[in-house]
Amino acid sequence: MIHIQRLSVSYKTERGQVPALKNINLSIPKGTATAIVGESGSGKSTLLHSIMRLLPPEAELSGKIMFEGMDITSMDDAALRSFRWRKCSLVLQGAMSSFNPVLSIGKQIAETVAYHLHLSSKGSYKRAEELLEMVGLPTFFSKRFPHELSGGQKQRAAIAMALACSPPCILADEPTTALDVITQAEIVWLLKEITRKNNMTLCMVTHDLPLALSVCDRVAVMHRGEIVEIQTPSGILNNPTHPHTKKLVESIRSIEERGNPK
Amino acid sequence: MRQNALEVSELWVSFEKGSKAFHALRGISFSLEKGQTLSLVGESGSGKTTATRASLGLIAPTKGKVTLLGVDINNCSKDKLIETRRRCGYISQNPYDSIPPTLTTLDAVAEPLVICKGLNKKTARERAKEMLSVCGIVDEVVLNGRVKFSLSGGQKQRVALARALVTDPEIIFADEPTSMQDASNRGDILDILQEYVKKGSSLVLTTHDLYLAAAATEHSIILFHGKIMEAGPSKEILKKPLHFYTKALLDALPGLGKKIKKPSLKQGEPEYRLSGCPFLTRCPRGIDKCSKTCPPIKEVSPGHFVACWLL
Repeated sequence: MIHIQRLSVSYKTERGQVPALKNINLSIPKGTATAIVGESGSGKSTLLHSIMRLLPPEAELSGKIMFEGMDITSMDDAALRSFRWRKCSLVLQGAMSSFNPVLSIGKQIAETVAYHLHLSSKGSYKRAEELLEMVGLPTFFSKRFPHELSGGQKQRAAIAMALACSPPCILADEPTTALDVITQAEIVWLLKEITRKNNMTLCMVTHDLPLALSVCDRVAVMHRGEIVEIQTPSGILNNPTHPHTKKLVESIRSIEERGNPK
Repeated sequence: MRQNALEVSELWVSFEKGSKAFHALRGISFSLEKGQTLSLVGESGSGKTTATRASLGLIAPTKGKVTLLGVDINNCSKDKLIETRRRCGYISQNPYDSIPPTLTTLDAVAEPLVICKGLNKKTARERAKEMLSVCGIVDEVVLNGRVKFSLSGGQKQRVALARALVTDPEIIFADEPTSMQDASNRGDILDILQEYVKKGSSLVLTTHDLYLAAAATEHSIILFHGKIMEAGPSKEILKKPLHFYTKALLDALPGLGKKIKKPSLKQGEPEYRLSGCPFLTRCPRGIDKCSKTCPPIKEVSPGHFVACWLL
């Protein structure tokens, strides 16, 4: 589905070029769930934004990002417009800021649907209501404004929006930060179930290794701009190869075992 | 009998929310002996931070009594209150607000020593430097830089920890002290707190993480919407949670080697009315009785309490 070859990204700053990604090679097969795990500053968000072509102008990029055979890095504006939402959509961290505060949730989702799927305004509103139902929100929520929703409800609405054009691929950037544990479990369960049922590809960025291991089929561990290890969850757990992964697994295990000695 | 470091009885805290009253705490009682450790566990809005702040007299209770280090803090002189608070260490949930932003890092940690212990500035700074190095902050640039500009979130939280511990407090209140730390540093924070517990401090930890509670404290109290749902030895609760809420909390918590489960709780807002169980709207099993009367907290095995009609 997604095939990244020798991707490097650096940011131009006052202190000169700062590398964010160094020579990334990553393949995400169709229908799988992949997690990208790393601590703050490891480059995980930059990687996701490169795929969506959302990098700021001061970023310099080299390498290739192929999506179903098309190179995203060289797409023109028209191709990019049909790629985003229809082929691949992004659920952002803290959906708080990803909605327009003065439009009702239903209207915002309908807007996306109307533009990309060329539906009538009535038809697209109906589709928005269906989408809200899919993510476990009652249809009357379409009339609500973003500030009338709790954090978890907003994140559900953001997922509904990402599903608007039934894209084959969904990317999620820390979809559960700032949410309570129980809400977090509900949101990741929803993402996992919807993508699994519709045979979609999911790529999720998170700093939470246990969360990544419990949700995804494959986990890529990032450290200082590089992918240091890609393995299945059980591989990461039982045979971590890179010292950074080992340290990460050890530190989490030590807290769990202190509370629950074997 | 050992003296209690903290005794909270029938504590109610209510806030005005529009025309309605919002009850953040609904009559909770617990006590902590000197040198004991306790976690307050729950999701946002469960009342754990309110309980911590009310214990320190930072929020006035609507009803009930708090005895902190033997002092009834809501019925004592202001001087007595200040003197009592100086014997406590408090790591607030939000380190951005709890450290004076214009001080240098070193002075921010030296300040409590000057105020509470009457040390001179030079000695205080030396002591502060040692404390900061224990908390993993040794960089000279950071030590002499202003708090506001030189520190990351995680570092600020560790400075807040140093500031709270530098006076050797008799009781430590730590409100989500690991929330801003990368996974690899969390254990270090627990080690530092444990060191002070060994020296005789009592500890009240606030967290949503049952693993962390079991790793750091002997006892846990599970709060939901201002009520105690379950209380008992932390390790026992982690091994054998009884209340539906505790179970859901544990299931939701990602752990190594755990696969994600279908959420067991119903969707719904917690119940705002006062009669009946607050957990009913989310409970997978509620019965008629639950909507009429709130289940009392009862002891199911020695030291393990639970509030549920079905258990």
